[in-house]
Parts: sequence; C-alpha cells; structure tokens
Amino acid sequence: MYTIGQVAKKYSLSRSALIYYDSIGVLTPGGRSGSNYRLYSEDDLEKMDRIQLFRSAGLSLESISTLLEKENSELNLILENRLLTINSEIQGLRDQQKVILKLLENESLKRNTRVISKETWVAMLKAAGLDEAGMRNWHIEFEKTSPEAHRDFLESIGLEYDEILAIRDWSS
Amino acid sequence: MSNEVINKEKWVLLFQEIGLDEATMTKWHREFETRYPDGHQSFLDWLNIEANEIRQIRAL
Repeated sequence: MYTIGQVAKKYSLSRSALIYYDSIGVLTPGGRSGSNYRLYSEDDLEKMDRIQLFRSAGLSLESISTLLEKENSELNLILENRLLTINSEIQGLRDQQKVILKLLENESLKRNTRVISKETWVAMLKAAGLDEAGMRNWHIEFEKTSPEAHRDFLESIGLEYDEILAIRDWSS
Repeated sequence: MSNEVINKEKWVLLFQEIGLDEATMTKWHREFETRYPDGHQSFLDWLNIEANEIRQIRAL
C-alpha cells in the first residue's frame, strides 16, 4: 500500500489534488491506515495511470469519472467527442491567425508564420513543375482518395467556404 | 476539420499519381525550405511526421 504522499510524488500531483479526486469519487483509495490515513493499493495506482492518460488527452474529470465506470464503447464515444472539440478549437485558432495576419499585413512577419496561404501553395506546386493542368489533377486525385482531408487542407490554407465548395465541385 | 488522417505515405502517393518523381519532390522540399521555412515545418507537422524525420527533410 502507498501513502498519499508517495502517490502524489509518483504522479507529480499535489496531495490536495488527490484529496479532491477522492472527494469527487474519481479515485477513492482502497484502504485506510490505523490512524485513518489514506492508503492506495496497486489497483488504485493502475486506475491512476488511466486517469493520467485521460488527463493528458484533455478530458475533464467528469468525463474521466464516467469512463472509469463504463465499458470500452463509452471510451470511444468520449474520445471522439474530445477529438471533435479539439478540431473545432484548431479551426477557431486558424480563424484568429487569419485575422491577425490581415491586421499585420507585414511581409516579413507573414514569412515567419505557420500559415501556408493559397498563393504559397500555388507557388510551391509551380516550383515542383506543376502547371495549371497538373494542379487540377492533383485536386482531382486528392478529392478521390481523401475527400475529407482535401476539405481540411483547403480550410487550412485559408480558403473561404464558397471557394472550397467550388474546388471540390469541379474536382469530384 | 475532419477525422480523416492524411499522412506522408498518402501525400507521396498523391504526388506520384500526378507524375512527380523522387528528384522533383526533393527539389520541392528545398524550394519550400528556402522560401517558407516555417510553412515547411508546419506542413510536415500537419502530415504527422516525427521530429527527427522533419529535421532530415528540412536539411535535404
């Protein structure tokens, strides 16, 4: 059995975090010492490993609590929801990045951002020797093999919704 | 954003499909690195390539 101090140290958590986990029922230690101190079993540590894993995926303690009680199908559902949230957060950040770039309008700053614009892509594809027809082919192949990733890619280079629709329309 | 993952292999296949060979792709990386170093990094990150491999590609 492990004391709360040992568990806190092993997982780089504060004792108060562990007491909180106990109070909300996420991790209730299996035993108590003679003087009523919390004692954690090997099973509790295994549970703690899973909690840490889910925390690192950004899940809330509430979701984790549900997960620890439920079957694996529930796990997939919660993880998928988390993935969707992350995706929409990324989309939101991209939008902010676009707005900031527009505000800055500074070429040297643009060069150092991680946004790859449509113009950059076209220039890069031209540098690879692709002409207009080659690029059309590329979109057609992209749409055929990975339609969702194609859309995702077009969003990532900052195209407007209408333009994305148009490209996907003629390339499908 | 979709859940469909595009990786390096798929990207290379896409380029091969439209007729780009190995040498052209190398040249392409060099151009990309010269003109837009951060964009290049960002693109390679997007393809989920490991940090080590990204360093190698950027040093081509």
